[in-house]
Amino acid sequence: MSRAARDAAPGARRTPGRRAPHGARAARALATALAAAAALACAGGARAGEAPADSALLRWLGASADSTEAWFGLSAARGDTAGLDSALAHALLHPGARPRRRLPVTLAPQAGFTRVDGPTYGGLLALGRAGERGGRLEGRLAYASGPNHWLGGAAWTRTVRRGERRWTLDLWAGRRTDGMDREFADVRLAQVRALLSGSDTRRYLRREGFTATLERAAPAWRASASFRDLAESPRAVTATWNLLDRVPVVTGNLPAASARVHELAYALGVRLPRVPVTLEAHHATSGDALGSDLEYRRTRLTAGADLSLGRAASLVPQVVYGRLSGAPAPQAAFYLGGSRTLRSVEGSSLGGTGLALARVDLIGTGDLLAALRIPHPAAFPVHGALFAGAGAVWGPDPYGGRTRPGLDWPHREEWRGEYGFSLMWRPGVPDPAGFLRMSIAWPAGRVHEGARLSVTWARGLDLLRPFED
Amino acid sequence: MTPRRPIPSLLRPGLRAHAALLAALLAATAPAARAAGPTLAVEDTMRTEVPEVLVRAPRVTLDEILDRVARGEARRDSAIRDQAFTATVRLVRHVGDPKQAPQLVSERVYRTYRKRPDKARAVLLRSWDLKPERGGAEVRVGTRADMSEEIVNFAFRPEARREYRYRIEGRDLLGERLIYRIAFEPRSNLDPAKPSGTVWVDTNDFVIVRQEVRFDRSPVPLLLRGVDRMVIERGRADGTWVLTRVLLRASATIPLPNLGRRFDMAIRFDDYAVNRGIDDAVFEGAGRAEDGR
Repeated sequence: MSRAARDAAPGARRTPGRRAPHGARAARALATALAAAAALACAGGARAGEAPADSALLRWLGASADSTEAWFGLSAARGDTAGLDSALAHALLHPGARPRRRLPVTLAPQAGFTRVDGPTYGGLLALGRAGERGGRLEGRLAYASGPNHWLGGAAWTRTVRRGERRWTLDLWAGRRTDGMDREFADVRLAQVRALLSGSDTRRYLRREGFTATLERAAPAWRASASFRDLAESPRAVTATWNLLDRVPVVTGNLPAASARVHELAYALGVRLPRVPVTLEAHHATSGDALGSDLEYRRTRLTAGADLSLGRAASLVPQVVYGRLSGAPAPQAAFYLGGSRTLRSVEGSSLGGTGLALARVDLIGTGDLLAALRIPHPAAFPVHGALFAGAGAVWGPDPYGGRTRPGLDWPHREEWRGEYGFSLMWRPGVPDPAGFLRMSIAWPAGRVHEGARLSVTWARGLDLLRPFED
Repeated sequence: MTPRRPIPSLLRPGLRAHAALLAALLAATAPAARAAGPTLAVEDTMRTEVPEVLVRAPRVTLDEILDRVARGEARRDSAIRDQAFTATVRLVRHVGDPKQAPQLVSERVYRTYRKRPDKARAVLLRSWDLKPERGGAEVRVGTRADMSEEIVNFAFRPEARREYRYRIEGRDLLGERLIYRIAFEPRSNLDPAKPSGTVWVDTNDFVIVRQEVRFDRSPVPLLLRGVDRMVIERGRADGTWVLTRVLLRASATIPLPNLGRRFDMAIRFDDYAVNRGIDDAVFEGAGRAEDGR
């Protein structure tokens, strides 16, 4: 029986080759030979049918394939087909023998360190994949040795793709310590800084409860809606030590407003057609109607562009505008300062109910060390970047300072400017477009402060969430 | 006829001086040249003239070609109701090494069945490893119901137009078939995982028949020095263009376990059966295919 015939009628019973008696093997060999001859004849017929229009093209493709095969050698050679037919027949006749797909299991230890939790020790257990039936279930548990609390929770993620579009449902319930700045809630690099040298400038709060997010994404846009029911509470500092035994840059912690927060949030991201511009809008609302203790409306608009200057560099302008109305709780405020906003300002040291930021980065694509003829391993190409920016916050200060003037736009006195340069290393993992970026920034204008060094992990367009390709 | 643009008078004295110098040099060198080499005769008795042909049809623009390629690929995809093929995945080490012969590290052979809308199954026919006890480098072929062959047309999908720049590299006439060579490169410099390359497009079906992919920079510098070459080939099976081979040679920055510094990854697709009607029984118990493109 030919393979094509078997594909059409897989239920036909057939004895696996290894167990077949000699006579049957001989008969099968004869049948295989006949099938091969028939297949060759059919193939010849098909080719003849496609000629003559196709013949020159197919000859050219064949010649190209031969040339490729000569270049790749063994890798491109046709494999040994002996035994494949019998293996296939056996597999089709014995569906029960099909190897069961193992449920992907991830079990990993986890450790962390922050001023409020001290060292945390725990682990992660994850089952399944988000893109497969059943989704991904992930559980985390950690003991925070500073306040002697257990942290952790369970998350379930399910992604359904249909062509280029996908739906993602993300559920989480548990207790965790979050960064006060909602735009940059990832605290992993901050934990490394805190442990090594105490240079972590994040402010923290505790969140307990659950969140649910539903997102629809396409290549050019994505939209999401989320709801959260979280008890938010302030945290006290419990660990001020670090491995280098330095005085921490920030010794205290900004107290969050204790509240049960019910919040609805919406997000929209759009990649404009034909131009390399990305827009994002986030809006969150919380109030009595939702049974929330806090009453606020929070909106953030971001735009960024990736403009290539030939193959040598990229110009990356980004602008952000944010506005908070209602109760100015610290956990809903906007913050300025740090590697993701103004690098010449200490991280999150300025806060308010309004934020305006404009930044432009000129990122080189060539290897600086190679250009300077400095010998270095191929794994460590170093790129250079120049940047400049200006930003301001206005409104009530979450740190308790003076209220900065401005309603929908900052007063001109509140603007802070900067310029500087960065050296960047792109390892390619875990994110091919991610850089480990070391920057030196100088304040510009009326502020007379020295240069500030910052190290961060970021993409070129670091104020926008990347689109999944 | 377009009138000649007069040479600006400021340049004329300079040009005259250059012309005079050139003439003097030629005059000085000409006898020496005649004396040193053979004498060349110029044929001036045979003349031919080709009649002018006025082409009124507008030339197809690049945008139109890209649209047609997108439509051609979509048409190719939609014409396939089911397909079965044998995929052979190989990893080979010591490639391009004059001191050592290439060595097969692992080979997996699958018979894969796909049927619209969402049925897929891959049957493992062979699993061979040079060092079976070490799980090291293994490549698995995902089983997806999608037959659009994104690896071939990723840069030519309508949604990819924002990501890439295109230009026509050339046009080749093969028999009665016109083949366009179209080069593409990513618009952004910020994501080195996006490759550039060249595709050959058959203008009969506006389908990509061959592709060479380049990575200007290593997509993973920590592990890979670069991708030396990547070739994607298509062929005809049952009247349809199908993926036949994906070949990639990469160099590592550090010797990788089981693979060394330079290795090949090859996937070969053979024994196609397209639109022959696969019995649903083949997919029984296989469940729905993985979500994916």
